[in-house]
Amino acid sequence: MKGEKILNDGLMNIFEAHGINRRDFLKYCAATAALFGLSEFEFSSKLAYALESGSKKPSVMWLEGLACAGCTISLTQSLHPPVSSIILDKISLRQHDTIMAAAGHMVEEIHDQTVKEGGYILIVEGAIPSADDRFCEIGGRPFRKIVEEAARKSKAVLAVGACGAFGGIPRATPSKGISVTESLKKAKIDKPVINISTCPVHTDHLVGTILYVLVTGNIPELDSNGRPAMYFGDSRLIHDNCRRRAHFDAGEFLNDWNDPRQKDWCLLQKGCKGPMSHSDCSIRRWNDGINFCIDCGGVCQACGEPSFYEHVTPLYTVESESSKKIMAMKKAGMFTKEES
Amino acid sequence: MAKKITIDPVTRIEGHLKIEVEIENGKVKNAWSSGTMARGFEALLTGKDPRDASYVTSRFCGVCYSVHQLASSRALDAAFGAKVPWGGNLIRNLVMGAEYIYDHPLHFYQLSALDYIDIMAIADYKGNDKDLLAVKDKIVSLVKAKDTYPLTPRYEPDEFTVKDPDIVISAVSHYLKALKMHAKARNMGAIWGGRTPHYQNIVVGGVTSFPDINQVARFRSMLDEQAKFISEIYIPDVLAFGTGPLWPLAQMGIGGGHHNYMSYGDFQLDKDGKKLLFPAGVMKGLNPADIKIDTVIPERITESVKYAWYKENKPVHPYNGEQIFNLDKKNAYSFVKAPRYEGTAMEVGPLARMIIAKNSDILALVEKGAKPGAVARHAARAIETKMVVDACYHWLDQLQTEMTKPGFKIHDTEHWDPPSSGMGAGFSEPPRGALGHWIRIRDKKIENYQAVVPSTWNASPRCDNGVRGQYEESLIGAPVPDPKNPVNVVRIIRSFDPCLACAIHVIDPQDNQIRKFIIE
Ligand code: SF4
Ligand code: SF4
Repeated sequence: MKGEKILNDGLMNIFEAHGINRRDFLKYCAATAALFGLSEFEFSSKLAYALESGSKKPSVMWLEGLACAGCTISLTQSLHPPVSSIILDKISLRQHDTIMAAAGHMVEEIHDQTVKEGGYILIVEGAIPSADDRFCEIGGRPFRKIVEEAARKSKAVLAVGACGAFGGIPRATPSKGISVTESLKKAKIDKPVINISTCPVHTDHLVGTILYVLVTGNIPELDSNGRPAMYFGDSRLIHDNCRRRAHFDAGEFLNDWNDPRQKDWCLLQKGCKGPMSHSDCSIRRWNDGINFCIDCGGVCQACGEPSFYEHVTPLYTVESESSKKIMAMKKAGMFTKEES
Repeated sequence: MAKKITIDPVTRIEGHLKIEVEIENGKVKNAWSSGTMARGFEALLTGKDPRDASYVTSRFCGVCYSVHQLASSRALDAAFGAKVPWGGNLIRNLVMGAEYIYDHPLHFYQLSALDYIDIMAIADYKGNDKDLLAVKDKIVSLVKAKDTYPLTPRYEPDEFTVKDPDIVISAVSHYLKALKMHAKARNMGAIWGGRTPHYQNIVVGGVTSFPDINQVARFRSMLDEQAKFISEIYIPDVLAFGTGPLWPLAQMGIGGGHHNYMSYGDFQLDKDGKKLLFPAGVMKGLNPADIKIDTVIPERITESVKYAWYKENKPVHPYNGEQIFNLDKKNAYSFVKAPRYEGTAMEVGPLARMIIAKNSDILALVEKGAKPGAVARHAARAIETKMVVDACYHWLDQLQTEMTKPGFKIHDTEHWDPPSSGMGAGFSEPPRGALGHWIRIRDKKIENYQAVVPSTWNASPRCDNGVRGQYEESLIGAPVPDPKNPVNVVRIIRSFDPCLACAIHVIDPQDNQIRKFIIE
């Protein structure tokens, strides 16, 4: 295999120490390369180069604001590649309060030093309070200021989860959480932000975007909401790839979770927002493809959209603004499937 | 002269926590615990469709989301008058069981181990185990590249730190292994929860995931792998550390605190919920020779806001609380409120649960001379993880049998629509301890929503009577010979597995009537 030659044994040993064998690794390269629109050869050589070129690993700073740590947990759930190989081999994780050994003043020192050096990837989990800075302070400093200062000197900013990308649930609370983009705009900081929404961020979306930026040195193509087009974007409608879709078209809607006959029926009447929700969940699924919201009989709440949560509530009926739009679209025949 | 030091942020926890301690003669003399972030979830819920609550409150915490979904759904079950079918309860047990299985080992390896081992001792490993040598190479190459983030910097190793290269290197290899097991255990919950974090399947009346036999088999085989890891690696590690290098800390009982313990009880073992895997109970003042456990009477819970950034008020029951932010309040130092049981600060969590359960392994440790405190908390976690694993097998068998019965049910469809009015309380025992959610419904909408979560109990500031919260009290007397290196302080705090985003969610009531609720 082409990729194999590029990977010397030293590198393979590292991967193997983390429990990825050669075959898994090459499989992973192939899949990721396809996703990035690179050849497998190009991808693995770039990755190998990025990993082996001298001692300097790209530095990454992860800050957490008005958040629940769900996106951090998504990071730790990465199995392919394992999170330990990302954290120890691929990046220099300068700051991540949930993971790092340091505490207290040492965190501040590392933070200041990293900001001084500049050129890092900044990842922000959680929203930024706009009602009052005191709703989120770290080390006695407003989170808003910490983000602004870190963004100025960063190479790229990743706003993760519904909260970081669009304000998410905190937007509807007294702390009035706003997105990273809005916050930087207010401070007149001109930095492109990659929004990787959903609540929480999807492990693959997060890891894939980090790797994309590291390997190509570029920002991936973004959709109109600033989200990586390879995971979101117009063509990635949950509804179009939902396995309950035939029942939607046939007008069969689940109303009793106990009825085995209805097990796969459309969840529209239970509040499903799949018809207005962009993400590849229904193809990629979650947690290594084990399942996703709709297949467990739960509903898609459009957690990757800017409208989440304020405009998708009430969640489990068709009374929300979002559901009303969907119903109107349905009535107008916008979901009629062409015969094939 | 006393010297005050501040640790902010306390890292390797969930959320934002600041700890201040006053040190005199090498020991902690006084301590303050502050939560420094607030969102205000309960305000958001006011006026919403009650069914939103289980979804929204799952976002209190991205580490232990199912427990909020569960407590919230139980509060809704009570308010809607829903009766969860046994099939639904079994699935609730299983997804929550998965939560224990990923959470406790994660806490031990990823969040705590670095406080007890000197990771740099790995360089002196002389053995020839291939896997361990790979770990050694890894660390040595990081050191050579002068880039050991995020493993350093760290507090300096002290007299209690494990420096034996053989022990350290195997601990680090287990650290890496545990990370992987963690991700796999999360996948277990996703089989019925749809995805993790933030399951989608627990709702009022039961669950949404109609199970099939393949899922049962899949869960079982994933459970087998976890069971092996837990009994062959996690438990032996905790025991080896606790009774070996950390035995002096265990005997000193650092981090003991008030020695008052409370558990609401959880994991239904029978259809009417009379039998629980973890029993409920409350106990004030530990006397290992004579453990007296009382029934928990939730009406006796009050919350004080004297030292928290909320509008001044007397201590009141959660149903009765007026919680309006006052960020300018003098003397306040935390967003966390101070819950008290009959005016007393309580410890909740694994140690409390195992003491209330009179667990023989924990009592044996105490008998051997370990005092309940930081080290005992790690032991209690390991013990109960094993109990949950064993119980999961039992629930799987039961589910498999139930599924084949005609009329098998997972949800109470009759009680899906919100009642025009109602109220209810829901309790559960997440990994971090006693959790209660309270809801009141009027005109089919949420009129008031309250939650008192485990970390609110443990991380609370002082109350009206000036009684310190459990974190604060547990720090008193802890040895800190070098104020620049307060490693014992973080050891103690992390032994509770703090979850601060959970602890601060708060807000807004409208009704000042005390209502009754029952715990069952
Ligand atoms: S409405 Fe939801 S459940 Fe129904 S087909 Fe569309 S995405 Fe699937
Ligand atoms: S299916 Fe919908 S609700 Fe679920 S993660 Fe994807 S976008 Fe979010």
